[in-house]
Order: sequence, then C-alpha cells, then structure tokens
Amino acid sequence: MSGNLRFLNKSITQSLCVLSRGYARRTSFPDYYQNPIFRKDEQSRLIEEGELSRRAKLPVKPPTVYESSSVYHDPLVNKVINHVMEKGKKQLARSLVEKAFENIKRKQIERYHLASSPDEKAKIELNPKDILHKAVENSKPLLQLTPIKRGGITYQVPGPITERRSLFLAIKWLLEATYEKEKQVHFPEQFAWEVLEAANNTGKVIKRKQDLHRQCEANRAYAHYRWQ
Amino acid sequence: MLSRNWRHLCRRYSQAVTFRTTEASPSQHNENQIGLFYTMEEAQCKQLFGSGGLPKSFMKQTKTFTETAIMVRQPALDLINCIKASDMNQPAIRYVLYGEKGVGKSLTIAHLLHYAHENGYLIVHVPWVSEWLRRTPRHKEMANSQSREGFVDLPLDAAAWLLHFKNQNQAMLKNNELKTSKEYVWSKREMTEAGSSLAALVEHGINRVKYACDVIDALVNEIKILSDSKVCKTFVAIDGFNSFFYPMTRLKTPTKKQVKPEEVTLTTSFLEITKNDWSNGVIVVTADQLAVPEEHQESFLPRYLLFKKGFEHLDPFVPIEVERYTDKEFLTCANYYRDRLWLRGPTEIETELKFTSACNPYNFMIQCAPL
Amino acid sequence: MFQSGIKSFSLRQLLPATKLCVNYKNPLICASIQYSTKSVDPSKNVLNNLTDWETLSEKKKISKAMKAYLERAKEHDEFMKQQQIEYNIGKRHLANMMGEDPETFTQKDVDRAIEYLFPSGIYDPAARPLMKPPEEVFPARKAAEFDEAGRPHHFLFYTGKPNFFKLLHDAADNLQQLYNFQDKVIRKKATPDPNGKLELGSSLWLSKDQLEQVLVESISDLEYDNFKVVMERLAAFPYSYRYKDFIEKYRKPLVSQKFALEIPKPSYDDEGRAFVTTYECLRKDSRGDVTIRSPGTGKITINGKDLTYFEDVQSREQVMFPLIFSGMQDRVDVECNIEGGGPSGQSGAIRWGIAWGLRSFVDKDMLEKMQVAGILTRDHRRRERKKPGQPGARKKPTWKKR
Repeated sequence: MSGNLRFLNKSITQSLCVLSRGYARRTSFPDYYQNPIFRKDEQSRLIEEGELSRRAKLPVKPPTVYESSSVYHDPLVNKVINHVMEKGKKQLARSLVEKAFENIKRKQIERYHLASSPDEKAKIELNPKDILHKAVENSKPLLQLTPIKRGGITYQVPGPITERRSLFLAIKWLLEATYEKEKQVHFPEQFAWEVLEAANNTGKVIKRKQDLHRQCEANRAYAHYRWQ
Repeated sequence: MLSRNWRHLCRRYSQAVTFRTTEASPSQHNENQIGLFYTMEEAQCKQLFGSGGLPKSFMKQTKTFTETAIMVRQPALDLINCIKASDMNQPAIRYVLYGEKGVGKSLTIAHLLHYAHENGYLIVHVPWVSEWLRRTPRHKEMANSQSREGFVDLPLDAAAWLLHFKNQNQAMLKNNELKTSKEYVWSKREMTEAGSSLAALVEHGINRVKYACDVIDALVNEIKILSDSKVCKTFVAIDGFNSFFYPMTRLKTPTKKQVKPEEVTLTTSFLEITKNDWSNGVIVVTADQLAVPEEHQESFLPRYLLFKKGFEHLDPFVPIEVERYTDKEFLTCANYYRDRLWLRGPTEIETELKFTSACNPYNFMIQCAPL
Repeated sequence: MFQSGIKSFSLRQLLPATKLCVNYKNPLICASIQYSTKSVDPSKNVLNNLTDWETLSEKKKISKAMKAYLERAKEHDEFMKQQQIEYNIGKRHLANMMGEDPETFTQKDVDRAIEYLFPSGIYDPAARPLMKPPEEVFPARKAAEFDEAGRPHHFLFYTGKPNFFKLLHDAADNLQQLYNFQDKVIRKKATPDPNGKLELGSSLWLSKDQLEQVLVESISDLEYDNFKVVMERLAAFPYSYRYKDFIEKYRKPLVSQKFALEIPKPSYDDEGRAFVTTYECLRKDSRGDVTIRSPGTGKITINGKDLTYFEDVQSREQVMFPLIFSGMQDRVDVECNIEGGGPSGQSGAIRWGIAWGLRSFVDKDMLEKMQVAGILTRDHRRRERKKPGQPGARKKPTWKKR
C-alpha cells in the first residue's frame, strides 16, 4: 500500500515536471515540504498567478548545492554533469562538460567566421547550451521495446515510454557513444563532436534512435502482447 | 586644453561605447587608454611570438577571435614610463613583475616586447623558463657540456631559442653594425673570427646544434659588450625567472642523477645577462607561481618565489605588482568578449561572473568558455 | 443443598409470608416437582415460577460479558474520579508552594512550576516529569458498545474497528453523493463554483497517532494509508467543498513559517554602519558565523581571505546565490568565519548565514521570494551512520537468492 502510494506520487510529479525536482530520492525532509522555486522566470510566473504569498507560509526545502538562481544554471546541464560523474567527483565532471562546451563554441565560432552571408551566420547556433538541448531533443526515443515472454519465446514488444525515461536514454546514449572513442582523443572533444552531430540530426546517437524506431515498427505485430 | 570634466566625460563616453583603441603603437599608449584593447598585426605577432611568448590559452583565443588583442593596463604603462624616464648610462635596471596566477604577467611582457620592438631594442626574450627545466617529454636530449666540466647542455632547446632570437631581431641583425669582439673556437675546424656579425654567430649555433649552448654564452657576452659600448640598446625579458632558483629540476642525467638548475649551461647564460654590470639596457623578469611545483606555490610574492639566491642575485630590483581587473577593465573585457562572440547571454551574467571569477583575468576567460 | 437453595429462593421471591402447605398447588412442592421432572405444569403459578426463573438465569448468562464490562467501567470511572481529585489537590498544593493563588492556577502555571521544581536534562520531552489532568494522561476508553441484551449499538461493531470503518463508509457515501450532484449539475449545464475550492495547501491529513487518538482505536499502517488515499480522492473532487466540515475534521493546520519571515533589528557598530551577525551557521559538519554590514561595496571576506578562499566555481556560486538573488551584491559587505567540513558544507553554511542576515536589509516582498526560493531553510541533513552488518549506510551485502 505504501509502495503504491509512493508510485502514485512519483508518477504524478513526473508528468508535471521532469527536471525541476531538486532531490533525486526521498530525503529526510517530511513530505509536506515544498520544492524550492528560485529561478527568476519561475518566480515571476508565480507572482503573476498570485501564489507567492501562499507558498511563503509553507515550509520549503533548501535548494541543493548545485543549484543557484544565476542565469547560467540549467537543470539539463546539471543532469548531464551528474551522468558524467563517477565516484562522486563532481568538480571533475563539471570541468569536463565545460571543456566540451568550450570546444563546441570554438567550432561554431570558426564556422561562423567562415560563413559568408549574414543569413548563414544567423543560422549558426553559438550557444553551447542550446545546442545541447537540441541534441538531447533530437535523440530522445518515442517508443521502447520491452521483453515479454509468451509461450516460452521472449518477444520484444514496442510500447510507450515516459518523458523521464526517454530523457535518460538520450543522455545515456550520448555518453555511451562518447566512451567508444579512441584513446588519444580526450573526452571533452569527443563529447563535443557527438553533441554537434546529434544537434544536426546525424551521427551515431541518432542512428541508434532510428534503429530502435525501425525495430518498433517491425515488431508492430506483437504490440497486443502487452495486454494479453 | 579641454577642461577636466569635459575630458572625463569624453573618456567615459568613449569607453562606454568602445573597448578598443585604434592606437596600435605601444609608445603612444598613455593613461587615456587604460582598459582598452589594441590589436597587433598578424605579421608582427608571428615575428615576435612565433615560438612562444604568449601563453598557450591565449594562443587558442587568438585563433578563435581571429585577432590578437592585448589590453592596455596600468603596470605596463608604468613600466613604459619608467623606461622612457630612465637614464641609459646607468647600469641596467631590473624590474620584477609579480602577481597571482593568471593575472596578466606574461601578457604584460608581450606588450612590453611590442614596445621594445617598435623602439629598436635588441630583444633577448625567454618565453618560459620552465619549458627547459621542467618539461620533460619521454626522452629529453641532453648532453654533457664540452666546454665546462660537470655541466649539462640542452642542445635542442638552445637551438630553438637561437631561432626564436633570430626571428625576433631580424631587422636589427640585418643591420651589420653588430659585430663580435673576440674570436671563438668551436673545434679544430670551426671558428668564428672576431669582427664577424652576430647574425653569423647565431646561424652557426642553429646549424651546429652541438655548440648551441656555447654560442648562447658567447652571444650573451657580446650583447653585454655591445650595449656597454652603446652600439645597440637591449631589452631582456624572461618569463618564469624563479624556476632558475628552484632547488631541483625535472631533468635527469643518463646516470639517473637529478640535475640542479645551476648545473645547466643555459641557466648560467641567462643569469649572466640579468646581472647589472652593463648599461644601456632594460631587464624585465617575472616571478610566477606556475613555474614551480605545487608544494611551493603558497605565495606569489617575489621574496618567497625567488628563494634567497635569486633575491640576492636580483637585488636591487624594482618590484611591480600586476593586479586583477578593476571594475572598468572588467567591463571592457566583457564587452570585448561579447563582441567576439565569446560571451553570450543576458547582461546579468556579468555581475555574477565578476564575483565568481573574483576579477581574475584568466578565471574570467575560463568561466566564459561554456557560456 | 442446591435444592434447598432453590426452594428458599423461590419462596422468598413469591411468598414471603405464607406457610408451607403440602398441596398440589403448593409452590414449594410444585417447585420441587418442577425441578425434578422438568415437565410443563399448566398452573399459572408454576408457569410464573418457570418464566421468572428462566429469565433470571438468562439474565445471569447474558450479563456475564455485560457484567464484566460494567465492573470494568465502574472501576475506571472511580479511578478517574480519584485521579481528578488528587490532581486538583495537587494543583492547590503546588500553587501554595509557588506562592500563587490556588484559584487562578492554570495548566501553564502548573507546567512552569514542575519545570522549575524538577529540572530535567532528559532529551525527550515526553520522558520529563509532568503533571497534567487525568484525561490527558490516561488514554480514552470507549463507552458501552452493546446494550443489555448484548446487541451492539454500532452497525459495524463486528469489524473490530467500528469508528474507523464508519469513517471510510462515510467518505465513500459522500463521494457517491458528490457523483450524483455532479450528474445533476452537468444535466443543468452549469459549472462548479470556482470560489468554493478547498484550501488544502496549508494543512495536512492527521498523522497516524493523531487519528488513533481521535478514533480511540488502534490502526495498522496499511489501514492508515488506505484512509489517506480515500480522503485524497474525496478532497480532489471539484465539488468537495460541499463536505468541507467532514474533511476539515481530519486535517491539521501546518505551523506557518513565522520565524523565517521575521525581520530582526540590526545593531550599529562604531562607524555607525548597521550590521547583523548570524551565529551557528551549520551545514553538514561546518560551523561558523556571518556578519553583514549594510552600507557596503560588495566586499566578501571569508576567514580573512577573499572569495578565492573557495577554489571551485560552485562554492563561490553558492556564496553569491542569496546576494545576487536579492540584488544586494553591491550594497553589503560580508565577513564570515567558518571552520570544519569541506567546501560544499562551508559554502552551504555561509549561504544560509547570508540569507538569514539579509532579512534585516531587504523589504517584505523580497523576503517572501527568498522564503519561496528556500534559501532561508536551515539544512539539517547530516551524514547517515553506517549500520553493523552492512558495508555502508544503505548498501547491503551481495544478495544471494539461496
């Protein structure tokens, strides 16, 4: 019963806001503590709805050490840094991702200077964070295959995927593609490469996503096994 | 003369609008241009900094920004004024630049080099001393010195430096007034007569790598004599001077004995040239924390970094501190980065960056990178 | 013996003054005959005797449970009365001891007196000496659940937890009625009243202990979760304002964040600048204090050093977070002394200290915004201890299926 309740809570919050939760797991703060809202745009939205004074009377969790109201904080970037991190070395992970952004930026600036007409120049995206957003968007799968056993045979059945899981898969594939690099190439460079390619809808990650979609299409016949 | 208020207003207006100045000659730089960027031509850059001279990160930036722009800052201006005002007949004055990591010492030296080049100095510039003493790829070519017992030679590095010297001083060397005063015998068949030009000496060093360190020694002596006799004025710039005085280098002889800096011939040459027993020259030296390993990086003050020996060697000297960006400089730098598309986003970023980078130029550059 | 007992009983009951006569109609003989043969005698007296005796013995059989209950209830009532008397006397004695007027001695005064007379260093407040009215000390008991005939009053008595299941039954019933109401509204093509939405943000459902106290019954965890699910479902319905009283009965209001939204007064130092010091800035293992001086230039000093005390960007960001959020980065000077912990703990402690101190220099709107942003909440999370038999706090040894 408590497990069901937890699941209910989780699925509700998940559909509303995938990334704006500060804490990944249940913490020692009781359930009635609200999540903090510190970004300027979200706060101004609250003020418009008139909710600010009401929320100010409730207890609020403190924001984590990795969040701040600065303009250059992005929940997606934070998530990517977390996935890159190993053994809790956040500083190293952050510096790697920042170097990757630097590489992306340099490449884009080069292209910008090489582009001849102002139209082309306007098309080139120079902000590495936007490029990352776009890359992740492009590599999110829309369906997933679930193994279901019927009559001794395990079929790969296509089914829906939640927002959270597809985001996780997108980031995981990006990182896996980066790990298959040559030894001489450094992580930030390879990561920059992968992200740029994914933002252009080319490259290994997009191919993987399209393979998955093709498989789902091919296994369309087994879709009814989900309910049998 | 315009009234003071009006001048201030003009200055503020021009600075608010621009972060550049069109004044490309360092000798013309003055107080009006503090905080503004001036661009150096590519040809000059290549000539002066072809092999070293600018920090590596800065070189990457020049490639991205497609131009080399240096900010005019107070310490450089102070030095230029000092040089202009100093009496050339007195023994050469030594200036020591010091400051925290990444605050702009190497770039100040670059600015001064440009000035020196414009004003016809003979430039003796060591881009980064630790490159010789602490950077050891798998196999560092070392040889036991032939002219001196127990000393170690670095032939390839010496040859590379001679090439650098040649590139920097092309104009001066073409003019044939610089002649050697003594005869130098390298081996049974090779010798340089007295009265041959310095250019020939340098060429010999480049071609015969074996004798490159000795060539440098000879060159140093010649330069001192020439400056004393007022044939040319010399500008000596050494970046990372304090690594000459650090107790250990990373070099090891084939017998696995660790080499001390005093046992390297190059050290002796450059210690010679930084002595103040010659006139008609300027010596600028930096004491940098990055030149020594991390255990000894507690402070950036010269007294700590130069150790006792270096302090005594350089005493008396004029210490010049290079500081972090002031607010105005910070703003101009931010504007420049925006213009070069290095920094993007809303203007609030600047206030945040000012604090998180603590106005340190290098940190500011690094933190703008992912934005 | 038994026989004589019966005889004497019946005699006393029916004919206290008559003489014994050996007669067919003699109740004595009839009674003895009745006892021995157990046949139904047509005589009225005998029938009367019969009904009386049976009902008497039935009453006796029935009231075993009832009798036991009655005894217990009586004992409890007496006990409570005794306790109440003792409590009142004790209160008067206490008032005399403290030198105050016994008539106007309230419960608060009692608590104060006990704390003064019996100072205790025990951590748990429930374990310290206390003196409260007996209703609060002894748990409530239910009134009579069944009548003399043994029939229970409550229709759900045989579930074992009648109050609880009645509550769920009521909720389900209300929900059904709300469905009907909604059907009616839809038929009339009207819309729900937007003002009538229930205000559920500032209150919580009763906790398990509180619910047990209200219902005077013990509840298991599963049942409590079930209760919460049912009530949530009821409250989430758009027309739930019709059963507002029912829902409000089971909600507890939250303590409002008074402390965070207070504005402490700054003190003034030698140069006439206003400053505020926050002591006890804690986060993880760091301890420190933060002083904010008001007309300032944005200088930050940590343990005597500049912001470069923290080498990584993230800690610096955290320290700047409250200042940049409230826009005060150029207007105040900050001095802090921190020790213990690592960069993340120290920067978190300084962040809280700055936010707490900024309350004095910031207007009310910004204060509310800070509260919603959460920077005014003290982070009391600490490292979880490692348990014996496990490699870490949560990590378990490798799971083996068999």
